[in-house]
Amino acid sequence: MTSVAIDRRVRIARVVLVLVGVLVIALGAYTMVTTLKPNRIWGLVTWLIAAVILHDAILSPFVVVVGVLLRRAGRSVHAVALVVAQIAIVVAAVLLSTVLPEIDAKHHVQRNPTVVPFDYVARLAVVEAVLVVIVVAALVVGSRRRTHRVAADAVTD
Amino acid sequence: MRRRVDAGLGGVLGEARHSLRSSNRNARSAVVFGRLLGLAFVICFATGLYSHFLQDPLPWMRFPTHPAQLYQFTQGLHITAGIAIIPLLFAKLNTVMPSLLKYPPVTGVLHLLERASIAVFVSGALVQVFTGLVNTYQWYPWPFPFRQTHYALSFVLIGSLAIHIGVKLRIIVRYWRARDSYDSEGRFVPDATVGSELLPDGEAVAPLPQHLPGRRFVGRIERWIDGADTRAGAGVPGPSPEKQAASVAPAPRDPAARERLARRGFFASVGTAVAGVIVLTGGQSFGLLRPFNVFAPRLRGLGPNSLPVNRSAKAAGVLETAVDPDWGLTLAGKGIRKSFSRADLRAMGLVQVDLPISCVEGWSQMATWRGIRMRDLVALVGAPPDSKLKVTSLEKHGGYRIMEMGPEYTQDPTTLVALELNGADLDIEHGFPARVIAPGRPGVLQTKWISSIEVIA
Repeated sequence: MTSVAIDRRVRIARVVLVLVGVLVIALGAYTMVTTLKPNRIWGLVTWLIAAVILHDAILSPFVVVVGVLLRRAGRSVHAVALVVAQIAIVVAAVLLSTVLPEIDAKHHVQRNPTVVPFDYVARLAVVEAVLVVIVVAALVVGSRRRTHRVAADAVTD
Repeated sequence: MRRRVDAGLGGVLGEARHSLRSSNRNARSAVVFGRLLGLAFVICFATGLYSHFLQDPLPWMRFPTHPAQLYQFTQGLHITAGIAIIPLLFAKLNTVMPSLLKYPPVTGVLHLLERASIAVFVSGALVQVFTGLVNTYQWYPWPFPFRQTHYALSFVLIGSLAIHIGVKLRIIVRYWRARDSYDSEGRFVPDATVGSELLPDGEAVAPLPQHLPGRRFVGRIERWIDGADTRAGAGVPGPSPEKQAASVAPAPRDPAARERLARRGFFASVGTAVAGVIVLTGGQSFGLLRPFNVFAPRLRGLGPNSLPVNRSAKAAGVLETAVDPDWGLTLAGKGIRKSFSRADLRAMGLVQVDLPISCVEGWSQMATWRGIRMRDLVALVGAPPDSKLKVTSLEKHGGYRIMEMGPEYTQDPTTLVALELNGADLDIEHGFPARVIAPGRPGVLQTKWISSIEVIA
């Protein structure tokens, strides 16, 4: 197929997708105003705005800072060790963001003992501690290796 | 003055964007994460609609009763895909982060609409996923009803997704395949013609005079991070090429190899996080993962009759009425009305079926039930097996106190009015003196503590 034909198809697909998207959003908005009371909708809007603020003003800067620190650490740490540390940090952050609300829920939910039954604080502490150990070990081993290499290079020089 | 602000702010944002440059943050990565996220959103939407219509069917709707585990599967998938969205969404947002600092922030009406649609999409996705997650913990710390909001918002989300795909389609097509995205050495191929805001090499930050506000400050920070001016650097974790050439570098020395490693490292991180949250929570829905259930809000086998409880007898307000010795199940058919004590029901002879309890909150468990077939019961009041029923519970209040049952469930031979569960009498938490169990329905429709069954069509 020629690139002109592909361009044409892409253009048509774009128009269709945007139109369908607008219609589906309108359906969602209609469902919202017909099933939710106005004050509830305002409650939802405040949550939606709070989510943008949380992302733009808290999550993003946090990720930037972690990235910057990793990059600075990268100057003196073996690249593979850095990747291992990065994996552990990402897993730790994701688990933290999913389990912290669960810990909070445990304090609020008293319905029956089969809901949120575990001691999530202890479990999270153990898992996060293991991940921290992995990060520290990766960084220590990674930077030691590098020192050895420097020493080896110095010897061969 | 305006120009100076433009140059200053644009410069600072440009420098900030420059410092975010990384081989992970390119259009190809955005496409890869976008595909996975899109798939997860569509899975959640489809399974969510299925669950919604099971609970609120349109008049003409009929549902499959076999396989009996169908709802267990679709709702387990709904929750699991929803949990997988969390790390994927973070990864996608991280990948496109430089676009957040675009300057000028808006270039025209179309661009404004595009950014607005993305704002709706991102905030909707964050709220939907977070409230969905916390709902599985049965905690509702927000000022709106969960179910209606989750349903309405899902349309807004899917609509925004369609718009987002439409807007970015040229980029998606251009970077759909890996071989079109990376050169033979594995370096990203920037293509300025498709409108991507994530072109780490193509979109070079315009050189700014050193005296502009912000430039020196950002430059100092960059030197602290990278140890040298990295304007020509690839921005991956690791030293700049100049620095690398001047000193003993950590392996690998080749910038293309570093780029590949950084990229793979990032994908490995996200992949591990997705696997981690699924493995550590999926045990509440999938038997294979049960041994790894560390963080799920439910544990299979835990509870009275070795089964978790959703709505307790106390919350339903039936602690007294359920154990009333005068309890009787009322059956109302075409002009016939009968009442049965628990002993009457038991005397009819109990049949045994294995059916799962599958909750809308994602947990599920297979159980063994003993009771009387629903179609045999309705026959006692002269109604055919394919009757539509209204079942009422002893519950004092609650959205599921009255449940309607379509003919496909009434006539199914495994649909029971159950008296026993897992080899013992029903515990009061599981619906003593009698409850409904039917194949392929959400747990909220497996009405507990029933008081009457009425044939309505």
